[in-house]
Amino acid sequence: MKTSIVKNVVKVILPLIQIFGAYVIIFGHVSPGGGFAGGSIVGSSLILYRLIYGSERADRKFIYFYLLKLVSISLVVYGTLKGLIFILEHLGFNGFIPIGVPGNLLSGGLIMPLNVLIGIVVSITFYFIATLFEEGELENVNGAE
Amino acid sequence: MSRIIELFPFITILLLLIFGAFLTPLIKKKSSIVRTNIAINIITMMMNLVTLVYVNNYGTFIFKFGHYGSPFGIIFHIGPVEVAIAMMFSFVITMVSWYSFYSIEKEIEEKRVGFYYILNSLLLASLLGIVYTYDVFNGYVFLELSTLAACGIIIVKDKKENIKAAIKYLMLSTLGSGLVLMGIAFIYSISGHLSMEYIHEAIVASSLAKENLLLISIVLFSIGLGIKSAMFPMHVWLPDAHTTAPSPSSAILSGLVIKAPVIFLIKIYYVVYGFEFVNSSRILQLMLIFGGTGMIMGSLFARRQKYLKRLIAYSSVAQMGYIFFGIGLGNELGLIMAIYHILAHGLTKSSLFLSAGSFIEQTGFKKIEDFKGIGKEMPVTLGIFTLSALSLIGIPVLPGFISKWNLALASIDSGMIYLLIVILLSSLLNAVYYFPIIINGYFGEDNLDGKVFKSKSKPIKELIPVILLTLAMIAIGFMSGPVIEFIRSGIYM
Amino acid sequence: MLMVQNSYIEVGAIILFGIGFMILLLNNNMIKKIIGMNIMDTSIFLLFISIGYIHGKEAPIIVDGEINAMGYVNPIPSGLMLTGIVVAVSVTGLMLALTIKLYEKYGTIELDEIMNMRSD
Repeated sequence: MKTSIVKNVVKVILPLIQIFGAYVIIFGHVSPGGGFAGGSIVGSSLILYRLIYGSERADRKFIYFYLLKLVSISLVVYGTLKGLIFILEHLGFNGFIPIGVPGNLLSGGLIMPLNVLIGIVVSITFYFIATLFEEGELENVNGAE
Repeated sequence: MSRIIELFPFITILLLLIFGAFLTPLIKKKSSIVRTNIAINIITMMMNLVTLVYVNNYGTFIFKFGHYGSPFGIIFHIGPVEVAIAMMFSFVITMVSWYSFYSIEKEIEEKRVGFYYILNSLLLASLLGIVYTYDVFNGYVFLELSTLAACGIIIVKDKKENIKAAIKYLMLSTLGSGLVLMGIAFIYSISGHLSMEYIHEAIVASSLAKENLLLISIVLFSIGLGIKSAMFPMHVWLPDAHTTAPSPSSAILSGLVIKAPVIFLIKIYYVVYGFEFVNSSRILQLMLIFGGTGMIMGSLFARRQKYLKRLIAYSSVAQMGYIFFGIGLGNELGLIMAIYHILAHGLTKSSLFLSAGSFIEQTGFKKIEDFKGIGKEMPVTLGIFTLSALSLIGIPVLPGFISKWNLALASIDSGMIYLLIVILLSSLLNAVYYFPIIINGYFGEDNLDGKVFKSKSKPIKELIPVILLTLAMIAIGFMSGPVIEFIRSGIYM
Repeated sequence: MLMVQNSYIEVGAIILFGIGFMILLLNNNMIKKIIGMNIMDTSIFLLFISIGYIHGKEAPIIVDGEINAMGYVNPIPSGLMLTGIVVAVSVTGLMLALTIKLYEKYGTIELDEIMNMRSD
């Protein structure tokens, strides 16, 4: 599993997977895909890194506590943005976010930034689930506290 | 101002999700996690109170998400029934978190306390979502969320039995949600809508042609949601899950989690299908049979139990039987009483579980026979237990009596007088298994030997939440007239 | 018989649902149960998406700013099933985690063996 061939091949294809994932996330509102699909692609690249380079190196690179912070902040930003939009629309302030031309990258209001946030959450959650199956508990991961 | 108050149901869910669940992993100190959560719960309760007063004065209102009306967007329908149930849910959760502030560390490991509070907020948010929503698929998503969170608050204890119980619960629950999703697929294929009112219109327009599909879908919904709310033959997951969970979790599981699917089921019946189809499809007779057998069999099972919490869990099965019985009677009073019993049983059973939890916590025993003479050692707690048990047995003025009395009236109304026997028998059976605990706890010379008065009693400040729950229960019994009128003003049929 | 030929996707979905349901209910092995659950969920996704599919129409993607609602299949069922997939993934994840815990505590993942163990 951890021969140098695999390591070198992974070194090449890992960025490609991540770029594809980012593409799926960012173009989620104009083509098939979106936050969940792209996030799972990025998450699978993180899992691949962990499988190939071993858990110690992955733990050093993806520190549990920072990832958790990232997830929480993304979720909070997502909730605040979406909730604020609903609240403001109910109170009568609408139409302050330009919708743009359908089909363009910068269109669809807030959908793209929200997709990016979902992508972050989903990718890290997938990585966490894989880690959980390996370690038993997330607290056992290095750098938990 | 009124537009701001109309936002409150949505804001409560948002606050619970953001501050209760998403932000919590960022907080490092355990005590501040607990404080934040209790503060959020209290704010939720206050907002629900304001909404309750608003609905009482100005009537039902509808919250549209992002200005899209019903067929395109998701809407929340906030009427008297929804507000009353939401108020009960947030009140019970607040009291339970207050109680667990003192005692949860004795039951679960310290590093999991944060998880417990996250899951509590998530659970309350999803339950409120189920109660408010008027969109079938949105209801399904909230239902799944509540199942996952409920599973979480069972396994925070991390013992052997908890894992087993949680797996049992999750498995049957996924079975139920699969059936519900299948039902949604069927009614979506008939009507092309997901919004409850529009499905109803489409169904009324095409009911004769598609009667078999409608029948299949209504059975799928009934069985699926019946599994989730522990309808009698599908109750097998309930005793294990509610017994092994930590006591505050048991209170939430028994008081709230099994009630939310019932509300969803009532909405499906009377908002989606409409009274006429439901009445002609004989599904209500099925509910009546399941509810009636549940009332008796749940009590019979409970009588044979040796462990205190297991007895209370089986008693929940019997009480859910009352709710399904009320729905199954098929008249207005029966439905009102089903909803009233949801309120009453939520308050009663949570205080019962909390007081049983404090017996177990203070003495370390689990079996019923070890609790002889507990009334001398913990008089106040057993007093609370007694009041709640009396309500379940059906002593006048307490809410259990009100719902039994009115259920009896409703069954006379519907022309099925023989159903009175079921209600009477179930009440007697309730008395048979609750009275020995109380009598052995307070009386008997040899029971009280060697017990020191108030020796194991909890400090009174730790009992305040349970006392408040009991007071709310008594209040809802005393003010049963206004409460029933309030529910009647917003009943779906 | 003609009805079966015309709506073979729905019939297949219902048969798959039955298979998944029975595996989930009757099998004792936890992993097989989880597989059964996934088959059941997938069959519902298949049924839902087949409801929204209209023969001869395209996926609802706007190309070059061209908007014509009549040319597309119904996108709502696909959107709903994306949510359904997310739910199924999270339930599967939790189930697998619980299975690992079960193996740690009991040393087996066969439920009938676990039920036979005397619990105090």
